Amino acid sequence: MMRKALLLAVCSAALAVSGCSKDGGSNGSDANVTNTEYPEQVFWGDTHLHTDNSIDAFGFGTRLDAEAALRFAKGEEVTASKGAKAKLSRPLDFLVIADHSDAVGATKALYEAPRIALLGNDFLLRWYDMMHESDEGSLAVTAELIDGAAAGTLPEGLFDPEESADRIKSLWTEHGETLDEYNEPGKFTAFHGFEYTPMPGGDNLHRVVMFRDGGDKTSTMLPFASFDAGDPEQLWAYMAAYEKSTGGKVLAIPHNSNVSNGRMFAMNKLDGSPIDEAYIKTRALREPIVEVTQIKGDSESHPFLSPNDEFANYGDAGWDKCNLSCGKDMPPESYGGSYVREALKRGLEFTQKMGANPFKFGMIGSTDSHTSLATADENNFFGKHSGNEFNNKDRALAPQNLGTRKGRFGWNYLSSGYAAVWATSNTREAIFDAMMRREVYATTGPRMQVRFFGGFDFAEGDTGDLVKTGYSKGVPMGGDLTGGDGKAPTFLISALMDPESGNLDRIQVVKGWVDAGGKSQEKIYNVSWSSPDSRKVGADGKLAAVGNTVDLAKGTWENNIGAPELVTWWQDPDFDAKQNAFYYVRVLEIPTPTWPVYDALKFGLTLPDDVIKIQQERAYSSPIWYTPAATTS
Amino acid sequence: MKLLKEPLVHFLGGALLVFGFFWATGTNRDPADYEITIGETDVERLKAGWAQNFRRAPTQDELDSLIDQEVKEEIYYREALRLGLDRNDPLIRRRLFTKMRFLDNQEGSEENPSDTILQKWLDDHPGKYALSSLYDLEQIYLGQSPGDSISETLDDLNQGTMEPDAIGQPISLPAQLRQTGAFEITRQFGEKFAAELSNIEIGQWQGPIQSGFGQHLVKITSKTPGKPPALDDVRQAVTNDWRAAQTASLEEAAFDKYSSQYEIKVTGRE
Repeated sequence: MMRKALLLAVCSAALAVSGCSKDGGSNGSDANVTNTEYPEQVFWGDTHLHTDNSIDAFGFGTRLDAEAALRFAKGEEVTASKGAKAKLSRPLDFLVIADHSDAVGATKALYEAPRIALLGNDFLLRWYDMMHESDEGSLAVTAELIDGAAAGTLPEGLFDPEESADRIKSLWTEHGETLDEYNEPGKFTAFHGFEYTPMPGGDNLHRVVMFRDGGDKTSTMLPFASFDAGDPEQLWAYMAAYEKSTGGKVLAIPHNSNVSNGRMFAMNKLDGSPIDEAYIKTRALREPIVEVTQIKGDSESHPFLSPNDEFANYGDAGWDKCNLSCGKDMPPESYGGSYVREALKRGLEFTQKMGANPFKFGMIGSTDSHTSLATADENNFFGKHSGNEFNNKDRALAPQNLGTRKGRFGWNYLSSGYAAVWATSNTREAIFDAMMRREVYATTGPRMQVRFFGGFDFAEGDTGDLVKTGYSKGVPMGGDLTGGDGKAPTFLISALMDPESGNLDRIQVVKGWVDAGGKSQEKIYNVSWSSPDSRKVGADGKLAAVGNTVDLAKGTWENNIGAPELVTWWQDPDFDAKQNAFYYVRVLEIPTPTWPVYDALKFGLTLPDDVIKIQQERAYSSPIWYTPAATTS
Repeated sequence: MKLLKEPLVHFLGGALLVFGFFWATGTNRDPADYEITIGETDVERLKAGWAQNFRRAPTQDELDSLIDQEVKEEIYYREALRLGLDRNDPLIRRRLFTKMRFLDNQEGSEENPSDTILQKWLDDHPGKYALSSLYDLEQIYLGQSPGDSISETLDDLNQGTMEPDAIGQPISLPAQLRQTGAFEITRQFGEKFAAELSNIEIGQWQGPIQSGFGQHLVKITSKTPGKPPALDDVRQAVTNDWRAAQTASLEEAAFDKYSSQYEIKVTGRE
């Protein structure tokens, strides 16, 4: 309370001189952009990018700031921290710079401080000297920082938010001004945001927090630090306070549930007490979407949870053995709270039991790059952090674990992913609102266009004018179906390939439901695929594989298998009107090479057998939920 | 802010910094000087360092040995400087490099650029801000491996004896675009396709044109050439770009200021 009052005082004092009352951006406002009647375009973005203001990113060697990050996302060429020229093959439409709120800007400030200011603080002085001595020293400091934060062994008062409030206040305000300068409604959207980074015992509970508003509102509060509070419920309280005091809007995006040791989607609150109605309501309101795929692995599914899904293991290698800090092993029994499909199923169980669903979220991908460079293309991958940029030949095979040196290697990191948003314009308001209604999907990098509509009255012929019919007779991805008089829901689904990536293998519908015994189940339906004349579903229910054209010696593939577009109508053949259910779409590309293959060709490396060299990139849509008429969701 | 650009101010500021350093450390480290004074501030600093590690004040014995250590360190430090051991040490070199660069980066362009400056920037970089040509066009998607009778098809289309619907493969790409710029076309059809458009004659069905989806026949019905925008339409983008370039050139200038005084010879380099 004290701090907030102080901040408001600072802001009103500063108002007289400059900044605080500036409107949402000097590039005009969202109001000047015409919105389409319904979402005609999909907008591509990264909601999770770190710059030199993140304590670990700077420690890892990133020297590019927010401005460079914005310029890169808009399609400009920049020089990466380690010297390589970097440019996206296509610009992004929006960007959320999500620097860690904990001690934001602190390593940069420490590094740039005159050494004399640190004499007398041996702890910081040691880090200062290590950072200045060498890149390795800087990496070691960062590792100590992350390990120390996970283990709770950092000295008390280090990076104390109260003490550094002034520094953070001016950093946050200035950062907001840069964002507003780069926000161009209708062309490019720069969101305000930060990452909230609690990791009790090294279990990842991180959330990206993003605002719908400009600096006029966001600068009235500081980014919420997890040193203050490691419980997401306190973050939600902060979000509510922000909305109340500014009239603005803010949402949170959980990510890396795969290294949460089962705690991201646990059946209890963080303190172990049972989830109650208030918790469900708050969580569903504050966290409408999750980031399901990114550099540190893919959290959609795991073979342990989905033994019948032959594609469930994508992006799991290296990430399913130990938690974020790798200080704790994660037993398979914990996976239920770590993977998103299982969380969606748990959500149905809550709906059944309590009439409401805490895990009713849509899905996006994002990078979590710590390089200021939002890259997700396999042949243009700039790595997790600046120690592993494009020109580091050892990055694919080197062990990557911070401190512990076990478990994870460079090649376990994915060149993934992006967020796709069906919005009525490229503005903060339209994109944010689309996220709130979950009309979004995730991809592992390629920009395939995925449409997914559910309703009770779609006919097979409705695929002809799929989008208009979809909106007029049904709901888009992220929506709700209820009632239906016992009719099985029907779906209109289309996927158009990324013209700069691989053809499409298949569209699948993933269904989850709760059976009569109150237990959740899942089933995967292949609903549309390339070459249907020659590819059949076998007795085991599996569709024949699409084939493989990857030439590892050249790093190429051929689009002579697969299809440029798949379009279909589908009706649930196993529908039971009494059962809560969700349906989401998974689209698979044909096999293509992974980034280590391109590295191997560039640097003349020999990749060991266990390195994954061929993958099927994919998209995950947000679900459509079915709820029997009697209950509410 | 002008004042900040005065070299004299820099000089005085620098001198103040050096003076400040000696004053604050209180060690009066002059290599030419054989006098060592451990004053009250030094003692306080040593005590504070001890307390930081051991959570208590040092005893008198401990303090004495800290002081002896400090004196010893200072003597070795000065002797090392006399022997020139600070030279060619990569760690010292690196630290001085980052210190120096940090000092230089403190100078920045503070002023808001005038319209004249921005207009000049706009004029100097016409391609970057030019509004793209706007196309009206029709396209027929032929699929990824069309037959080889394309020239006949083109003839039939151009003579009006064949309707586009008769040969188009289904795909959810627009068959017609109206007043659409290169950026939007690239977005929908990919870079290859958009690049080809500038080579196509207007008014006739042409092709095949390759996109990432496969092959297309294209008929451009009208093309409105792009034009340079008014400053007001692109003011923020121009300001951002100008500022970014300004920062880069200031960094370069700061380096040039020193490097111009050096004669640099590299074996094998002209």
